[in-house]
Amino acid sequence: MTVVVAYADTPPGQRAVATAATGEWARADERVVLVPAVRGEQCPDVAEVERRWPALAGRVEVVRGDVGDPGDAVVQVAQRHDARMVVLGLRHRSAVGKLVFGSTAQRILLGATCPVLTVKPDGAPGA
Amino acid sequence: MTDAAFSALASLADPSLLIMLVVGVLAGLVIGLIPGLGGTGAVAILLPVTFGMDPEPALAMLIGALAVVHTSDTVAAVLLGAPGSASASVTMLDGYSMARRGQAKRALSLAFLSSMAGGLIGAVGLTLAIPLARPLVLSFGSPELFMLTILGVSLAAVLSRGNVVKGLTAGFLGLLLGLVGSSPTTAEERFSFGSLFLSDGVSLVAVALGVFGLAEIASRVGQRKVTEEPVTLTGGWASGIREWLTHWTQVVRGALIGIWAGVLPGVGATAGTWLAYGQAVATAKDKRKFGKGDPRGIVGPESANNSVEAGDLIPTFLFGIPGGVPSAMLLGMLLTYGIQPGPSIVSEHLDLMYLIIWAFAIASVAGAFLCFLATGSLARLTKVPFAVLGPGLLVVMLLGAFQEGGQLGDLWVMVALGVVGFFLKATGMPRAPFLIGFVLAIPMERYYYLTTNLYDGAGWMTRPGVLAFAAVLVLPVLWSLLRKARTATGRADDGHRDEHPVEERAEVDLEGSMAGTPWSLGVAAVAAAVFAGALWMSGSFSEEAALMPRLVAVGGLVTAGLLLWQELRPRFQPQADPEPTVHDEAPSGGSTLVATRVEQRTVAQEARAAVRNRDLAIGARTFAAMATFLVLVMVGGYLAATLVFTPVFLLYVARTRPRTAVVHTLVLGLVLLSLPSLLPVELPLGALQ
Repeated sequence: MTVVVAYADTPPGQRAVATAATGEWARADERVVLVPAVRGEQCPDVAEVERRWPALAGRVEVVRGDVGDPGDAVVQVAQRHDARMVVLGLRHRSAVGKLVFGSTAQRILLGATCPVLTVKPDGAPGA
Repeated sequence: MTDAAFSALASLADPSLLIMLVVGVLAGLVIGLIPGLGGTGAVAILLPVTFGMDPEPALAMLIGALAVVHTSDTVAAVLLGAPGSASASVTMLDGYSMARRGQAKRALSLAFLSSMAGGLIGAVGLTLAIPLARPLVLSFGSPELFMLTILGVSLAAVLSRGNVVKGLTAGFLGLLLGLVGSSPTTAEERFSFGSLFLSDGVSLVAVALGVFGLAEIASRVGQRKVTEEPVTLTGGWASGIREWLTHWTQVVRGALIGIWAGVLPGVGATAGTWLAYGQAVATAKDKRKFGKGDPRGIVGPESANNSVEAGDLIPTFLFGIPGGVPSAMLLGMLLTYGIQPGPSIVSEHLDLMYLIIWAFAIASVAGAFLCFLATGSLARLTKVPFAVLGPGLLVVMLLGAFQEGGQLGDLWVMVALGVVGFFLKATGMPRAPFLIGFVLAIPMERYYYLTTNLYDGAGWMTRPGVLAFAAVLVLPVLWSLLRKARTATGRADDGHRDEHPVEERAEVDLEGSMAGTPWSLGVAAVAAAVFAGALWMSGSFSEEAALMPRLVAVGGLVTAGLLLWQELRPRFQPQADPEPTVHDEAPSGGSTLVATRVEQRTVAQEARAAVRNRDLAIGARTFAAMATFLVLVMVGGYLAATLVFTPVFLLYVARTRPRTAVVHTLVLGLVLLSLPSLLPVELPLGALQ
C-alpha cells in the first residue's frame, strides 16, 4: 500500500513526514509518496529526505501532480497511487484568517477519496 | 429589441457583409494556427485592412476573426504540444497526451465543439447583457463614466498577472502616452516636443502593433524550429462528438467562467482558461487522469477560451472600457468611425451591437465546421518556424500601421514601442494595462472636465454610482494589501486557488525571464525618469491642460518609485541566507538541504542568464533589422524595401534555405503588388520613387 504526504518545509509539514515514516499509523514496508503542497516550493530531493528521515530510506519518492493547484495535486496523486491514506500537517489559523484565506488543507480534506490523517506540530495549541 | 436583433440578422444576408465575415473567419483560423499571435494578433493584422471600409463590414470581419482564433489555436497544442497562443497551453496538458495515445481526433473534436459552444454561449451572454445593462448605462452621467475609466485602468493593472506595482506602472505609462498630442480642453500641445507629427497624438494601431506585435516577433524569432514531429491524426471524430455531449455541463461552466473573465478588465483568455481548468479539476471527483488525457480538461478551458472574447466585448461596447487587448483595439476602431461606445451605442447603434452578436455566433459555428474539414491539411502550418513568418508579419504589420495616418513617423513610433514592449514583456510588466491606459487617457480627461463643469465642487462624488465604483476600486487594493501582509509574515501559501502552469513549462517563454535582473531595475529607473520628466514638462502647460498630465506623472512617479524600491531591496540584502526553519528533527540535515537548494539555484541562474543574453541578442538584431527596413522604405519605397529585406532576413537571421527565401520574397512581393487594387491600402513611397 501507499501513503501520500502533503509535503511542506514547515514544522507541520515535517511533522507529517515524520508521522508517515515512524508514526503510530505507519507501516514499515509501505511506500511513502511526498507531494509538494506549497505553491512555488521546490521539489524536495529524495536523497535529502532519506537523510533526514532514515526510516524512509528506499521507500520514498517525490511526485508532482499534473494540475496547478497544490491541494488538487495531492488528491490526484493519492488517487493515482490508490493510497491507503493522506497525511497532512495542519497549522494554526485564526478565525479571520480562515474567513479571508482559502486553505489547501481544507481542499485536501474535502476532496480526498481516501482517509486523511492530520497532524499538528509539537507545541501547537491542541496538538 | 427583437426587431433590432432580426433586422441585424437580415443585414448579414447582404453578400458584402457575408464575404467580409468569411474572410475574417478564414484569417482568424490561419492566425490561430500560427503560434504566438492569438486574438491580439488577429485584430492587429486585420484592423488596418478595415480602414477604408464602412463600420458594418469592418466589424463583421474583425469579429469573425476574433471569434475563431481560439478555435484553431488548439490544433498546434494538441498535435505538436506547442500551443498556438498562450491560452491554448491549458488544452495542451490533456489534449497532447490524448493525441500521443493515438486519439488526436477525439481531442480535437472535443476542443472544436467546445470552442463552438463557448462562442455561442458567449454570444448569448452578450445578448443578455444589453437589456440588463441598458437602463444602467443610460443612467450614467459623466461622473460615472469618469469613474469607469479609472476603474478600467486600475482593474486591468491589479488583475493582470504579475505584481500590482508593475501593473500600475504600466497603466500610468500607457496613460501618459495617451496624453501626447493636443489637449481636448484647451487645444494646447502636450509632450509633442514641437513636432507637428506628435501633436496629432500617437496612433493606436502603432501602439498596439508595436507593443504587442513587434515585441512578439522579436521574442519569437529566436525559436528556431519545432523539433517534434506532429502526432498523426488518428482516432475517430465520431467518438469525440458523442463524448462531448456527455460533458455538456463542463462546457456551460467553462463558458460562464470565460464570460466573467472577459468582463473583468485585464483578465484575458489565458487567465480565463486556467480558471476554467481549475474548476474542472476541483469539481471532479476522480482527478486521476487530469494531465494525462482527461476530456474534462479539454472541454471546459476550450469553451472558456472562446467565450472570453465575447465577454470582453460587453464592457467595451456598453461602457467604453475595454476588457482586454483585442477589444481595446476594437474600441479604437469604433472611435475612428465616430461611434462612441458607452451609452450612445445602446441608444443609437443598437443594430451594430446585434450585428456583432450575430457575426460572433455565426463565425463560431462556421469556424468549428471549417476546423473539422481542414485540420488534416492545415496542421502542417503549425510546423512553420516563426522566424520564417517573421518578415512577412513584419511587412504586414508595418503596412497596417501606415494605413491609419499615412505617415512614416508612425512606423518609427511603432518600432520604438516594439522595443518598449519587448522589455516590458521580458521584465514581467503586464502590457494589457499599458494599452488600456493609452486608450482611456483622453476619455478620462474629457469626462473629468465635463464632470467638474457640470457639478459644483465635490458634489459629484456623492452620487451613488460614483460611490459604488469607488468601493470597487478600493476593495481590491485593500485585498492585495492584506495578501501582502499575509505573505510578509512568512506564510508563503495563502491557499488560494490559483492555477498557474507548472513552473518548468513557464520558463520556456521570454515572459518575465528578466524579472529581478539589472534589466528590470533599468526598466523601473527609466519609467521613473519618464514620469519625472513629464512632471517637469507639465509645469509649462496652462492650468487646465496640466491637471491630467500632472496627476498621471505624480501617480506614475509614486508607483515607479515603489517598483524601484522593490527592485533594489533584495540587492542591498546580499543573499541573506534564509535560516532553515527546521525546529525539531535533524537540524544538520536541514541546513544541508538549504545548501543544496542554493547550489541548484545558482546553476539554474547561470543557465537562465545564458538564455537571457541569447534572447537579448536576438531581440536587438531583430529590432535593428526593423529599423534597417524602415530606412530602406524611406529610400526606395515599400515594395523595393520588402524585396531587399525579406531574402536578407530569411537567409541571415532565420537561416532558411535559399529556395524558401526566394519563394517567400516573390509571394510577399506579389501580395504587396496586388493589395492596393483589392483593398483600400496605400503603400508608402520612398525618396527615389
